[in-house]
Amino acid sequence: MTADDIQAVAPPADDGRRVMLELRNVSHSFHARKESFEHGVHRVLDGVSLKLLEGETLGIVGRNGAGKTTMLRLMAGIFAPTSGKILRQPGASVSLLSLGLGFQPQLSGRDNALLSAMLQGFSKREAESRLEEIREFSELGQSFDEPVKTYSSGMNARLGFTTALLTKVDILLIDEVLSVGDAEFRQKAEEAMRGRLSGGRTAVFVSHAEGQVKKLCSRVVWIEDGLVRAEGDPETVLRAYRPPPVAPAPGGGSPPRP
Amino acid sequence: MNLTQYFSLVDTMARMSLKADASRYFFGYIWWVLEPLLYVAVFYVVFELILQNRKEDFLVFLMVGKLTFIWFSKSVNQASRSIINSRGLVSKANISKSLFPIATVQEGLYKQLSVFLLLFAVLLFSGYGISEAWLWLFPLILVNYIVIVAACLVCAFLVCLVFDFVVMVSLGTIFLLFVSGIFWDPRGLPDPAATDLILLLNPLAFVIDAYRQILMAGVAPDGWHLLGIGAGFGLLALGMVLLLQRTSRFLALKVLTS
Repeated sequence: MTADDIQAVAPPADDGRRVMLELRNVSHSFHARKESFEHGVHRVLDGVSLKLLEGETLGIVGRNGAGKTTMLRLMAGIFAPTSGKILRQPGASVSLLSLGLGFQPQLSGRDNALLSAMLQGFSKREAESRLEEIREFSELGQSFDEPVKTYSSGMNARLGFTTALLTKVDILLIDEVLSVGDAEFRQKAEEAMRGRLSGGRTAVFVSHAEGQVKKLCSRVVWIEDGLVRAEGDPETVLRAYRPPPVAPAPGGGSPPRP
Repeated sequence: MNLTQYFSLVDTMARMSLKADASRYFFGYIWWVLEPLLYVAVFYVVFELILQNRKEDFLVFLMVGKLTFIWFSKSVNQASRSIINSRGLVSKANISKSLFPIATVQEGLYKQLSVFLLLFAVLLFSGYGISEAWLWLFPLILVNYIVIVAACLVCAFLVCLVFDFVVMVSLGTIFLLFVSGIFWDPRGLPDPAATDLILLLNPLAFVIDAYRQILMAGVAPDGWHLLGIGAGFGLLALGMVLLLQRTSRFLALKVLTS
């Protein structure tokens, strides 16, 4: 995939590691349907700056609607920022993996996997040579040849995750995909991802599952109201992100979670 | 993405869509020729049996017009929604949005090849011999294809900008059905100046008339006029491809947030 105008050489980070991708003062807003938002303009990100270093897994946490998915789409070059700059290492391939989207529902899992691989720049022959591996790892069995519209969300996630994992992209952007599916596959996927990530692959990982973020990420960014609220090691950021426990009100009820 | 990858993707997407489409229907691939024939049957009943059209060999005349017009109208109607309907792939990578309408055109081309075979068989069966003029079919089909590509790209872009254009597109193809001489002969008008004007102003009317001239009268069409249409629509198609490329991320935002 070419990055067009967002491609540029990002300077190395302080510790000498290559910066794979950098957001510099990035804002993003769009005109939504008039009746949805005030004046029809929805501001999603507001002057966000962050760096993604080679070989790291950066976690992004935040409430629903905080701008996490938009941030991944900006990083993938699918959207252009309204203002600010996105710098990326020239030639670095990026793949965005998100739930629910990314597939053509009327096509089979096999055809979708083939299309995804081709969109990542593989020739048809190369893409075809990976299909059996994708079928086996995703454990979809017969369903691999059935239309994706018949899949459960777990099966969808398995197909999407496996396709992205087995086609070697430099920067893997993962949006909530590992938080669904059965526990067994989740564990297998986590292990596979750790294996890949220890091989120097760079990833951005958006998840509501704090346990997964802690296990997989080396650094975490907390996004709130379009701004970076905190950034640092997973333990510290997650502690700040988690609201302090509220004393149970008379009559019960659990404390609110973000 | 280089040109080879682009066309390989176009071809793959078109074939997959044809396969998925065929699997939905009981008669599968038979619909490729059955549907156009049913359209011809409907027009035949209305204009020959009910309205008592006195035109000689009306069925063949109608088939040449309708079977070639349907290639245009179905492609344009489908392609106009092609970007919107590909939200899954749009959300995955920054790819040129021309890929989707072009893949739809390709799908229509594969179907049309079987329709042309049927048409030629009907012509031969009805006593129309192959003449030297048939060589003109090659440039004519090419120009027809270029006109379809340009129209599909324009409509897909407009529908992406404002979805309401979908209504205009279907209305526009119905308008063209009436003014392009599908079930009436522009050469049969009492005023020759009116015939010239229609063939000059409506490129589709010229193309359909050219098919009839070649296949039914064995006469070569006006080559310069054909070249002019090909060059004009070729430039339009090229301009649209560039425009869709330049606005790729803006269109992604439109598709994913509308």
